Formats: sequence, C-alpha cells, structure tokens
Amino acid sequence: MRSKAKTVIIGGGIIGLSIAYNLAKMGEEDIVVLEKSYLGSGSTFRCGSGIRQQFGDDANIQMMKRSVEIWKNMENELGYNVEFEQGGYLFLLYDEEELKTFERNVKLQNKYGVPSRIITPEEAKEIVPLLNTDGVIAAAFNHTDGKANPFKAVFAYANAAKKLGVDIYEYTEAKDIKVEDGKIKKVITDKGEIETGRVINAANAWAPLINKMAGVPVDIPIHPYKHQGIKTEPFKIGEINPMIVSFKHDGVYMTQEANQGGIIGGYALKYGPTYDITPTYEFLRGVSYRFSQIIPALKYLNVIRIWAGYYAETPDDNAAIGRINEVDEFYIAAGFSGHGFMLAPAVSEAIAELIVDGKTSKPLWFYDPYRFERGELREQAVQMG
Amino acid sequence: MRLQEHPIIDFTKRRGRKVTIYFEGKPIEAYEGEPIAEALHAAGIRVLSYTPKLNRPRGLFCAIGKCSSCLMVVNGIPNVRTCITLVEDGMRIERQRGLQPLPKNVKSPRWKDAEKKYGDIIVIGGGPAGLAAAIKAAENGAKVMLIDENPILGGQLVKQTHKFFGKREQFAGVRGIKIAEILAKEAKDKGVEIHLETSAIGIFQEGDQKMVAAVKKNTHLMEFYGKAVIVATGAMEKMIPFKNNDLPGVYGAGAIQTLMNTYGIEPGKRVLIVGAGNVGVILAYQLLQANVEVVAIVEAMPRIGGYFVHAAKIRRLGVPIYTRHTILRAEGKEKVERAVIAQIDEKWKPIPGTEKTFDVDIIALAVGLRPSVELLHQAGCQLVYVRELSGYVTRHDKRMETTVRGIFVAGDSSGIEEATTAMLEGKIAGLSAALLVGKAKPAVLEEIKKYQDDLNEFRSGPFGQHILKGIEKVMIHD
Repeated sequence: MRSKAKTVIIGGGIIGLSIAYNLAKMGEEDIVVLEKSYLGSGSTFRCGSGIRQQFGDDANIQMMKRSVEIWKNMENELGYNVEFEQGGYLFLLYDEEELKTFERNVKLQNKYGVPSRIITPEEAKEIVPLLNTDGVIAAAFNHTDGKANPFKAVFAYANAAKKLGVDIYEYTEAKDIKVEDGKIKKVITDKGEIETGRVINAANAWAPLINKMAGVPVDIPIHPYKHQGIKTEPFKIGEINPMIVSFKHDGVYMTQEANQGGIIGGYALKYGPTYDITPTYEFLRGVSYRFSQIIPALKYLNVIRIWAGYYAETPDDNAAIGRINEVDEFYIAAGFSGHGFMLAPAVSEAIAELIVDGKTSKPLWFYDPYRFERGELREQAVQMG
Repeated sequence: MRLQEHPIIDFTKRRGRKVTIYFEGKPIEAYEGEPIAEALHAAGIRVLSYTPKLNRPRGLFCAIGKCSSCLMVVNGIPNVRTCITLVEDGMRIERQRGLQPLPKNVKSPRWKDAEKKYGDIIVIGGGPAGLAAAIKAAENGAKVMLIDENPILGGQLVKQTHKFFGKREQFAGVRGIKIAEILAKEAKDKGVEIHLETSAIGIFQEGDQKMVAAVKKNTHLMEFYGKAVIVATGAMEKMIPFKNNDLPGVYGAGAIQTLMNTYGIEPGKRVLIVGAGNVGVILAYQLLQANVEVVAIVEAMPRIGGYFVHAAKIRRLGVPIYTRHTILRAEGKEKVERAVIAQIDEKWKPIPGTEKTFDVDIIALAVGLRPSVELLHQAGCQLVYVRELSGYVTRHDKRMETTVRGIFVAGDSSGIEEATTAMLEGKIAGLSAALLVGKAKPAVLEEIKKYQDDLNEFRSGPFGQHILKGIEKVMIHD
C-alpha cells in the first residue's frame, strides 16, 4: 500500500468510486480509495437498481436530469456496459390527494425538461399489461427514467478510475484520521498509514464514524436503517419494463431486470437505526403480498433471493454533500437515504468540480451538510422502499 | 416404457389410478401419485425445456427437486419443478422454451394469514436422517413436525433395493426401501406430524421461537413454529464437465434410481455409468435387476471406489469397468445416442487414440454428491468448505448443533456419507434437540453417547478415516 496520497476517499461504493473517477478525469493525481470490505458491499450492491428524475424539488430533479444524461452515455464513457435501460418509472395513484401532489411534481419536472406526464389507468395498463389497475385513478409516468445494474456500474467506475491511476484498496479499513491545526495529516488504516492532506467521506452508513475520526464539529445526523429487497425467478423479459411504484401499498417498488428477467424490488418496511442486515420474514411475507396485489400473476413466481441493506438516512432524506470548513480539505458525500446509486454520476461530477475548480454549477447547496445544525431542513425527498 | 417385472418390487400394486395428462396437447397416460417428469419419461419424452440463451434442449437430471433442469409450463404457469409435482387428471403440460410469459388476466390472490403450526421441533427433510431424528425426538415427548418437499417419505432410501451392512440395529441385511417403510411407520406411530410436498423456504428467528416458512404444493404458505430446527436436507448430485453434458439422457444416478425403483419406469435401454464409487456400482446392479443393459462403467481413478462385494457382483455379471478412463462427450440430436470415452494419462489428460464409442440412450453420472446447505446458509450457520465432506458444510458440535443455537444438522447435509451414518446422526440430533427444548430427560445423554460410539465404530474403516478428517475441520469442541 502506498504511504502518501493527495486524496484519500473513504468508501468503495458507487459514490466513492465515481468521485475518484471524476477527480482523476479532471487531472487530479495521487488518489486512493479505501474500502473496508469489498467494493459495493455497503449499500450499492444491495440497492434496488432504480434511476429516476421524478422528484418533487428543483435540486433533485436537476441533479437527476444530469445523472440520467451520464447514465445514458456511461457505456461509452467508462467502456463497460452497465445495463442502463430507460423503461421509465410508473407511479400508481389511488386518490385525489396523491394525484394533486404528482400533478404539481410533474409540472416542476417538466420545467427542467423531464418529460413526465400524468396518464390514465388504461394507458398504464398498456405500458404494463400484467398490471392490476383496480382502484388506480391515474399514474405518473416518465419514460426517460430507468434502471441499471449496480454490480456492473461499480466495476465500470472502479476500472475506469484504475485506468486513470487511482489506487483502490479493498479490505482496508480507515481506523483514524490525524488532524493538526485544522489540517489533515494522515489516515490510519488497519493495513498501514497514508499521509494525506485531503479526505472525502463517502462511507454513507458509516459516515458519522469517519466524521468523528476527523473531529468534524458539525452535527450531521446520518442513521443506518435496514431496508430489504427480493429477487424472483425469471420470466419472459420485457413484460415489466418500468419501475412500478405505489405509495398506497407502503412505498412498494418493483421492476423486471433488463438482462436476467427476474423481478427486483421491495417496500418501505424499515428497522433501525441498526447495522444489522439480517433479512426478515415480515418483509418476505409483506413484499409477496404487495407485489401480488399490483401484478397478480407474480403469485406464481418463486422468490429466489432476499437481502437487506442500508438506507443511510438524514432527517429530510436528502444527502449531506459538501466541504467541511473546520477541517481543511475534508469533504462529505454521504447519507443518501436510498438515492445514492441513481445520484452518483451527477454528485461525483459536482464534488470533483468543487474540489478542482473551487465551485460547481450544480445545485450542491441544496445538500449543504450544515443545514441540519441550522435547522433548515429541506422538503422530504420522494422516497420509496 | 414401464417396468412390468422386477425381482424385488411389485409395481402393479404400487401404481395409483390411471389419469390422462396432456403434453403439448397430446394425451398421455399416467398414474396418480407419480410426478409429471417421471410420467413423461415413461411416455418416451426426454426433452422438457429449451434454455433461454442457447436454446439447448434439457431433460431430467436430479429428479428430487434440486437442480431446476426439469422446469416446464404446467396449466399455463412457468417454472414448475415437474420432477416433484404430481400429475393430476387433465393437467396441461408444455415444454418451457426459454423464459416464458406469466399468465394473463390473473386475479390478485385472496390473502389471509398463513396456516400456522406449533410444536417443539421442526425437522426439514424426511430421509433417513430426518426420520431418525423425528422418531427419537418424538419418543422423548417432543411434539415434532416434519416437512419434505417430495411426495414420498424416506428420502433416497425409497430407491435403494440393496441390503444394508452394519449392525442388526442399523438395519443390516434389510433393503433400503424396507427401511424407509419401517422408519415412516415408526414416525407416524410416534405422533410425528408429517407434511409432504412442502418446501421449506427459510428459517427465521421470531422472538424466542424458530419459524420455518414453507410452501405446500406450490401455492399454500405455512408457518411452522418451534424451539429447535433439525436440517436434514440431504444432498444433490454433482455434475462433471464434458461436451454435451446437458443433453437429455445425461441423468444423475439418483434420478435413474427414482425412475426405476420408485416409480417402476424403465430409465432407458442401454446405459453407460460414469463413476465406480458405491453409487455407481450399486446403480449398475439395480439396472441389471430391472433388465436394463449396462454397457460399461468408467472411472477416472486407478481403482474402483465402491465396496468390493458390489463391484465383484457387477464384474461377474459381465459389466466391464474401465478404470483410468473418462467420458469425453455425449452425442445425439436432442437426446443421448452415443457416449465417447477415453483413457487418461497420469496428468488426467485423455490419451489420443484410446477413444471408445458406445451406443447408449442414458449416461448415468455417479460422480458424487454435494451437501444441500442452502437453508443452513440462509439461517446464518457458519459454513466451511471441506473437501472430504464433498462441499460446503456447517460447523457443528458433537450433538450436531450448528453455530446457530437451536439449529441442528444431520445426514448428508452435514457432509456426504451414507444412510447408516445419516440415521445415527439423526438420532443424535433428535435427542439433542429434545434435550434443548426441555422434553428429554438428562438420561438420554447416555443414549447420545452410544450413538456417538456407533458412529466412531462405523467410521473406523478406511472410508471412515477420510470422513473423520473432514469432520475434524467442522467440529466445534466443548
């Protein structure tokens, strides 16, 4: 392991890896990524694979619009097929109040050029013929939303970063960060020490621990909650293209994998804060019930896998992203509350711009890590699962 | 073709009522109580599905619901494991061609609470280990529930027509099929609650209870609550790499036994067996019993691995055993028509010019088993890879309790051995679990000790040394 680096990124999930890639792309050298387990092992490999622009606030919509542009071109840019498919996101709406909220959101999304629209239940059934539209009064649909393969996306970013000279150390855990006179001196790992002047905390569920190591004096509340997902056996590919979401069914979301043909998804049953990720029967049963209410034919499919992962949640379900003034050259990009995978391309680009150019045109202010302390919470981000 | 005569089993008495099933629209005669894939085999149908990517034909392989080679569309529903799903009159069966669509215009299921069952101990698997465990636990006053995804109790015993070795109390001189009947009857007599055609899908900790979630007949969710779980899920057949090893007609040895010894169906006309271990030589003998020609047995090792008595019997009956040989490829259009073997050198490479071709319709793979540890893995038991035990196995102590308190293991799922040791392990696990749940008296510790001694004695032979080495790697000492 190298003993010196200009930048040490803590966390080998998609956030840390994409930041490493974008920094290197902008000409930064001497970048190290530390991952205490294997790449993607924290939240990325456990995520639901969805990528959407249908948020309810300006900043998330803009960030996700940029993300989708990058996702679309990712195979070209990183030289690896990440199986990005624009099957759309289909929100099923069951009452007037829901409809009103989504009409407002669609208007806002349209303002930024996201082509979402409100459609009838009949149109929804045309998009997904297996859909049970009983009780559905309308749906919000955006055909440019989609999904990608989290495993492949992690490897794509990791390999592209390596090609640009980034060193990635797996099974290497940051144990402490030495700071003197407000300046970072070194990161101490279980495999040795790295002299460095810059640390990026991309540890998501474990981000508070890293903040503490560096003595960050700001209160950035991030708590790990256990959320779960399932995968079913495969059936004919293309039967369920969009990510289907229903808040009426407790934030259930599901889609069919573009390449393997199984259903992947979950619903908003959460436990925590906890670092325990043992899957539960309560979830297995609950998700089976909800899935088969929305797509009745799913009752014939076997669940072949169940797993749990973290939503590293903040009080407003928006991430904490930015520079920490009290510790020179300490940055945080964590607490993604279930949206890290989809946001990674745009967030990493913005962070790299902030570090290299000193500023970014993207609305990073929205994710200001100081907002919690100031009591300026954002509008709750649209979250499911 | 169905077997009309068999020296040991009278199938005419065993078969159920005649029913008609429809394979791709064509009526086929079958018998109640037999699984779909087995009935199709009897009707000469070898190709059950085509693979999604390469469109390769696939047929039966394990015949005990473990390998997913037999998935078909049944009454419009894809991905049905036809090797363990019983025929029903009027059933419509189609080959699965790649990934199939789901049925349209389906109603949402009416959702109600799962059927709940309460007891002290849940045994998963009704083979020799599971039955022995259930009997011992029930004998000591525990309320035992036993579930098995197959339609018949007895596990792999139900296809063993040969007589067992060992001590009298270990059923020496009794045929496997008879042992299955004896154990099944004893379990029922002792009040074990039995659920067949019920697949365990997970072991969960619910408060201070263990809960085994299971699905009965593919449709019916059940929850079994107790204080201890004994996992006796057995093993599954291994596959070896050779060209066209997925051609229909390349069957696991166990599948062939299931066809002929459980359901009285002729597996084929001419068979090549790969592997001269115990399973290979016993299978050869069973095939001859059923009037099926065995053209040869090939064995990569320089010596026959199976018991001498069995091998000698096969040789006397004129079946050549080619040691230091391997199978190179299967040949045939949509099903096995020929097998090509060759001699191998000391580096295990085929020697050119030594190829031999046999006209066969079945290639039987008797190349070993691997423990079925999926549920143990899901339940969080610590797994280790142990070559001597043929795969990943869970760590356990002398009383067969795993690294998760209250979860026990017995039989092949704790490491590949044989039925006699499976029953001994089952007895130990059953008694230990009964102790844990507070039903058995401490006096059973002596009985446990006796079975531990029996195990040691049984493993004292040359085969056992190898196993003992493996067990030492998983054993948790006090």
